Amino acid sequence: MKFRAKINDVGCLNHFTRVVNTITKLTKTCVLRLTVDNMYFVLSGKVANGGVSMWCELLQVNFFEEYQLEGVSADANEICLEVAPENLSRALKTAQNAKSVKIKLTKKHGPCLTLAAELPSLSSINRIVTHDIPVDIIPKRLWHDFKEPTVPDFDVSIYLPPLKTMKSVVDRMKNLSNYLVVEANMNGEMNLKIETDLVSVTTHFKDLGNPPWGDNASQSQSQSRDAEAMAHARVDIRKLQQFLMGQQVNPNKSMCNIVDKRIIHLILLQEDVSLQYFIPAVA
Amino acid sequence: MRCTIAGNGVKVFGRAVHALSRIGEDIWLDPLQKGLAVRSVNSAQSAYACFLFSPLFFQHYTANLDQGRESKGVKCKVSLKSVLPIFRSVATLERSVCKCEISINVSDSRVKFQFNCRHGITKTHNLGYQECEALQAVFPTHLCPNILKAQPKLLSDIVMHFPTSQEEITLSVSPLRFKLKSYYEEENDLIKSMNTEMSLHPDEFDYFQVGVDSDVTFCLKELRGLLSFAEAHGLPVSIHFGASGKPVSFSVEGMVLEAVVVLATLASPDSENPSQESIPQEAPAPRNRSEVCPGNISIADISMDEGPLEAEAAGVAPKLPAFPTEEQVASSQGSPVFIPDLHMRNLLQLHGDEVGLSRPSLCDVIFESESLTSPATPATFKFRSLVFGAVSSDQVNVSALELPSLVCASDTEDDTGEDSGMVEE
Repeated sequence: MKFRAKINDVGCLNHFTRVVNTITKLTKTCVLRLTVDNMYFVLSGKVANGGVSMWCELLQVNFFEEYQLEGVSADANEICLEVAPENLSRALKTAQNAKSVKIKLTKKHGPCLTLAAELPSLSSINRIVTHDIPVDIIPKRLWHDFKEPTVPDFDVSIYLPPLKTMKSVVDRMKNLSNYLVVEANMNGEMNLKIETDLVSVTTHFKDLGNPPWGDNASQSQSQSRDAEAMAHARVDIRKLQQFLMGQQVNPNKSMCNIVDKRIIHLILLQEDVSLQYFIPAVA
Repeated sequence: MRCTIAGNGVKVFGRAVHALSRIGEDIWLDPLQKGLAVRSVNSAQSAYACFLFSPLFFQHYTANLDQGRESKGVKCKVSLKSVLPIFRSVATLERSVCKCEISINVSDSRVKFQFNCRHGITKTHNLGYQECEALQAVFPTHLCPNILKAQPKLLSDIVMHFPTSQEEITLSVSPLRFKLKSYYEEENDLIKSMNTEMSLHPDEFDYFQVGVDSDVTFCLKELRGLLSFAEAHGLPVSIHFGASGKPVSFSVEGMVLEAVVVLATLASPDSENPSQESIPQEAPAPRNRSEVCPGNISIADISMDEGPLEAEAAGVAPKLPAFPTEEQVASSQGSPVFIPDLHMRNLLQLHGDEVGLSRPSLCDVIFESESLTSPATPATFKFRSLVFGAVSSDQVNVSALELPSLVCASDTEDDTGEDSGMVEE
């Protein structure tokens, strides 16, 4: 197994850092899948996470100037590692002004992802800072847990309102209740509701627009659906807040698919990064 | 003791208190003729810091008010828990305080910090103190084979790469390379934690002298206070150290103040000097002659590259020690002998009478073994404060020393050097 990658451009480095920072805010530990074309940060929906799962996909070529990968075997040309994104985030933070950053898979006291940054210095010779991030190699037999999630058979798909607005609404609602209902319809309307014994608060968003999914089975299903009918899911408010808190990248497109009473599927798209986040509904 | 600090100085003093708070729980106030020494030491006695404010730093400075008494001010110890909140917000101090008066009231046993603030507000804090013996570390930086000097920004930039939770780091030098890396005592931590390493070229330093290739491991947390202080005032930092096991000192020198932090370092398990590994016994402390060290350390002042330090010949014949030493300092003239374990043992000296200076300008701590000069008169004992570059002189003789039991290495129990071979060659 071999992995070496290099970032020479400061813009790419900053972009990569922002993505990693977002992942750091979402989870303490995740799986890093490295393939020839992409880099994925995956969190599989286990009970420990409260059923939340995450899939973040980066197009490698848009970040790295050099990228070499030799996977586990010829027919499984990828590497799967378990890593704490916070370590990666910290390492990248110190490399902010770096002339170049090299990431490679090494073996120190155990398998590590070594990040070596060349920093500008006062002398002719650059400073080098190296961070060894301990990782765990995930054996091939467990890879099925970390496959790309399929888009669920959603009832409603809607574009999200500006994330900042959503975040301030959710932040305030968090003080009142532990659970929040996300509901939306195919008419571009979305509501965020909380209901307690004493008070219920609803924030209404309209004219959001619904993304066209094209030749999709769900589309035909939702076509027969009444445009005004709301699909809703009641979720743990902290999970939604965590998702909104971490957003550092301004997505080109952000949308939400709701499977009535089952799950909400949040999708953030940028030209070279996509982030999907699944929050299961609670009763 | 009474002194007054003008507006600008208050924040400097405040920053010094912050830096000292990183080290220990108490600060020792020691009003000397040459200035006010504010010191702290950590509970394991593996870290010591001293800020010396010369009389020029103050608007007024009087070391002792009662001329009739001993010719020195009262020495006292105040808990940092009481002092730190007073200087908590340096920004507020800067904005609102015009003047600060510090005085020690012996009859009440109180140290008074009185702030004259804007708008006619006066804030007075009366803190109880414990009278105590002065705390002073004795560290012959001139005997250190390795001396580095760097701009504070450089050191801050380097240290920035290590997380604030990082306890210990290892500094490795050779004439061509400077390297800092994180150090983990526990095998477990080593495997699970992120390991950071930073290397620089010696060109980045203002001065880089490496007499002995060495790796010293010390506590980073305790140093950060001084580094922030140095950066805030733009003062270059000098680093003196030797081989592993010997202390490392970080010092800054300004126009009206000096500061130093001395940290113990972990002893390397494969040191050639077996005696280094032994836990030092508490040295006996006879009242009229102090046994500074059973071995022999002779004095040689080696003038440093910069600074107004004069080389002073000790004029004492050295005697080779009975047991092997770690190294001979290359640049020494009178073949001074540097005995690591004894050095650590003698790092901190608590003594009853004030230790003054016998020369106007200092190099560093120098101490003489009584076995070198047959009549061990007090005059032959020259104790100097750890902080070098003193402004004024004192002609007080040392009459007694008391050596506390000291922790040889950093504050871990494994000072017999079981640090899992992490120290590099």
